[in-house]
Amino acid sequence: MLEYQIFFDYFPMILLGFWLTLKIVVCAIALGIPLGLILALGRRSNFILISFFATSFIELFRNTPFIIQVFLFYYVLPFYGLRLSAEYVGILALAAFGSAYFAEIIRAGIDAIPKGQLESARAIGMTDWQSMKNIILPQTVSIVLPPLTNQTLTLIKESAILSTITVHELTMTGLMVQGETFRPFEVFIMVALLYWALNETIASIMRRIEKRYSRNRKQNKIVRSKIDIIKSSGFSR
Amino acid sequence: MKFDISYIFDALPRLLEGALITLQVAILGFCFSIILATFITIVKTSFNSRIFNGFIAFYISFIRGTPLLVQIFLIYYVLPVFGLNLAPFPAGILAITLNSAAFVIEILRGGLASVPKGQFEAAKSLGISGYALWWKIILPQTFITSIPPLVNEFTMVLKATALLSVITVVELMRVSQQIYSANYHPVEVLSATFIIYFLMCFVVSRSSVFLEQRFKVKRA
Repeated sequence: MLEYQIFFDYFPMILLGFWLTLKIVVCAIALGIPLGLILALGRRSNFILISFFATSFIELFRNTPFIIQVFLFYYVLPFYGLRLSAEYVGILALAAFGSAYFAEIIRAGIDAIPKGQLESARAIGMTDWQSMKNIILPQTVSIVLPPLTNQTLTLIKESAILSTITVHELTMTGLMVQGETFRPFEVFIMVALLYWALNETIASIMRRIEKRYSRNRKQNKIVRSKIDIIKSSGFSR
Repeated sequence: MKFDISYIFDALPRLLEGALITLQVAILGFCFSIILATFITIVKTSFNSRIFNGFIAFYISFIRGTPLLVQIFLIYYVLPVFGLNLAPFPAGILAITLNSAAFVIEILRGGLASVPKGQFEAAKSLGISGYALWWKIILPQTFITSIPPLVNEFTMVLKATALLSVITVVELMRVSQQIYSANYHPVEVLSATFIIYFLMCFVVSRSSVFLEQRFKVKRA
């Protein structure tokens, strides 16, 4: 009952969609992590206006479904005169969604660094920004790496939702092939396996990197226990 | 074009009706997934069969490795191929249940790990087993420690239900799409929907603290 011919005939087309999914996710991460860092620092800011804005951005994007964020971006941007193609809207929406989660991860990472580090950096005359850049952030890298990976996997999965605004990524391609062939089983299994393979590949590579990191670095106990807390809270869809 | 707030007020009653459906789907799906996950967890720990555990690990990996949207399509479009025709609503609940169960199993595994082994041994030495062991001793402890991640999972489910709009389950997202495709004011309608979703999820996620207090184990 399986029609193997479909796998051969449509695989190149599906791969094309897969390639666009990859590009979109890479762009969204490249935009989202800097934005997340800004939001994380903004949330810690002493200026109430900045911290209020950052906090509400983070909470709004974390507490709403991604699909409605996508539709809002898709309709709101032209409403204010910014006409972009669906791909760019998708990248923006995915980056905004990701940045809210990235911000929380980075914030947790900063909080996990003992307070004395910042205080001593300030005491020897570094500015706020210098002590962040040179002392705190480098130490958070190994802490935030596992949850950031987790979030990256989430973004790959959420990118499927961009098919609803006609971005021709993997899921959309699958839907189109399904419309041509009327063989949903073959098509969606192919699509699902590609997503699965991508996620498992990234996850296993990152596990290896993490292992190397934790071997090379001896961290003190406080940081370790906080890492565990961050890791255990990192459930993501 | 200007942002016209009157469209929000016009749409509000129907949106709230949609929100009720969303809550219904989320609660039903979440309850089923908890039942399923509890059952699987009990079978997993009591029989410890390699084949069953391997199958569950495979299932969890598949669910966590593929987008929910694709899972929904798989259930909605593929089940009819095998002769099982489901209406959108039950298909949606099935998709949500199967998806969420994978995450709840992981949560319960964590909760179960926090129950001391002595509890099993003490129960055994008292001759308690089967139903009483799980229902009276192990599960209450597991669930109480799992409250925060379970509440988190429920907000995830709440957000996931919005995806069911693509298979025409008439919940909040679908209702808002119906409204703005009739009045051509997507910005106002979608903003209102966005805020309703936010309020629901925010209230649920903040309830975690309250629930933890309520079910805190009081030891003299």
